[in-house]
Amino acid sequence: MTATVPAAPAATVSRTGLLRGLPWLVARQHRATALGVLAAVAVGCALLVQQRFALVGLLDRAGWPAKEVPQPVVGGSVHGYLLLGLSALPVALAVFVGAPLISGDQEQGTAQLVTTQSVTRRQWLLAKLTWCYSLALLAAVPLGLLHTWYWEPHRSLMPHEWSEGAVFDNTGPMLPAFALFLTAVGVTVGLLTRRVFVAMTATFVLALVVEMAWDRVRTHLAPSRMFTYPLDTELPARLSEAHELDRWVGSADGRLYGWGSCAEQTEAASEACLREKGIVNDVIEYLGYDQMPAMQWTGAGILLAGTVLLTAFVVVRVGRRPL
Amino acid sequence: MSTATGTPGAGEWAVRADGIGKRYRRGWALRECSFRLPAGRICGLVGPNGAGKSTLLGLMSRQLQPTEGELRLFGTPVDDPAVMPRFAFLGQDKPLFKRFTVAETLRMGGELNPGWDMAAAERIVRSGGVPLDARVGTLSGGQRTRVGFALAFGKRPDLLLLDEPMADLDPLARDEMGTLLMAEAVERGTTVLMSSHQLTEVEDMCDFLLVLSGGRVRLAGSADELLPAHTLVTGLAPDGTPPPELAAHTVVEVRTEGRQFQALIRASGPLPDAWSVDRPSLEEVLLAHLRSPDAPALYVPDARTAEGITTP
Repeated sequence: MTATVPAAPAATVSRTGLLRGLPWLVARQHRATALGVLAAVAVGCALLVQQRFALVGLLDRAGWPAKEVPQPVVGGSVHGYLLLGLSALPVALAVFVGAPLISGDQEQGTAQLVTTQSVTRRQWLLAKLTWCYSLALLAAVPLGLLHTWYWEPHRSLMPHEWSEGAVFDNTGPMLPAFALFLTAVGVTVGLLTRRVFVAMTATFVLALVVEMAWDRVRTHLAPSRMFTYPLDTELPARLSEAHELDRWVGSADGRLYGWGSCAEQTEAASEACLREKGIVNDVIEYLGYDQMPAMQWTGAGILLAGTVLLTAFVVVRVGRRPL
Repeated sequence: MSTATGTPGAGEWAVRADGIGKRYRRGWALRECSFRLPAGRICGLVGPNGAGKSTLLGLMSRQLQPTEGELRLFGTPVDDPAVMPRFAFLGQDKPLFKRFTVAETLRMGGELNPGWDMAAAERIVRSGGVPLDARVGTLSGGQRTRVGFALAFGKRPDLLLLDEPMADLDPLARDEMGTLLMAEAVERGTTVLMSSHQLTEVEDMCDFLLVLSGGRVRLAGSADELLPAHTLVTGLAPDGTPPPELAAHTVVEVRTEGRQFQALIRASGPLPDAWSVDRPSLEEVLLAHLRSPDAPALYVPDARTAEGITTP
């Protein structure tokens, strides 16, 4: 970046590169962060591609899907680290990109430096937010897409069910949405705390709280379905991928009893109980695999709405209050 | 960049404050502050800690918003973004991006300011022997201040706002920066408003004064008008109290020592022959006003705004 020619008498500070103005400043200021994030993303993408090709090769040799393959096919340490990395990505973006975004400049006084040049606080903030959200998307979109591309065709062989966080939150639109939302949380916390370390710590804790809360939200993203089938028969194959929420036994007139209602000491006693209550059906409450895209887009919509709210708060606050 | 409002003094005010005030949660930092600073002056902003100097500079540099009153720079309300290219601000701790090189810091000035003068900025940096490819974090305090000045002057401001610019510099760097500041400001006719605790610095550099105390303006005016308005009188105080004749004048400060009194006054009539009369130095006037925050405020005509102002 140094462009000095000691002998030249005229202006020697050159303006190279594509970016100008605030985008240049923000990109230059956070160059190291961006390079770090993009390097990690490149490694993640390469691993996902490598894992998929390794799996495809293995399955081709085994003749899958015509023949069964011995389980578990997937589940090596690389796979585990990949899932861990994907799940940690939004938190890492929040802590290392979002939290220091504004608080770093408040702590160092460079917020004052920039906003006493000929740019307003709002212009500066919008440039910062644009950079920050772009980086989050640049990280989360390719990883989310590649993970979907790796997981979806081979889901029956994967160790995690579609409804689990490791898959649900890390495929499709969910990974970018989570990255944006947690990054926005980091930015907001940073603006309010004005200190980098405090902001990063608080953001980390908050991100874990959000993840825990989200675990409870996930299965409520779509209405559950009920399926009734004769007692002691196999569940139809089309429901093999369903996520089971609850199980009952039911009578012919549709009354439901708890799964263990007629679990008696002896078989005879159980039979008698079933007869007495008229129980003839198994009933399952489930979420179908076909509901997954709708659930993911609903979840992403909720998180994006949260992102918009937090961003609006930050923009309004920076416009009104000194940095 | 100059406005078309006629000759200086007739309407070209670099700063015009009308009853501005700023309240924080713990109270008023600045209250009923009204003054005018003519363009082209070097104005010293003097006052004890907590007097409201930094608040005033923060209001002028748009980092704070006034709770009340109106503040205009060159006739433009300070909340209008159009005012931004017209002033440059250099804070006390001179924040810069530590990982930027000096060249990148100057480029930032170019990227963010429409009227940027790269040649001038580079000349200021070069004349101090600061290498353009050095990281800002590796520079000494004096060098960093020089880069700060280069950033401020490269903006080609009409008004330069400085918050204790020399506070943390060694005497050599202080002298160097003072010379640089005066040379650049005089060459371009830049109006300078600088806060300082160094009264000698103020006396040497400034031709206009703004004295704040307790969040209010105590003195405002050009140095060569403020100074003659004051008289230092010494006389006998037979019973240890100042003579009643003093009451006829505006007393800024009076001190008695044994059978003698010394007072800094603004005379409003002939003085008794028995008193010995001296012209105070600027430092003496400033110190007296800082020690006596309850003394009546003084505005010379140039610094007066429309309403609510006492005259000498």
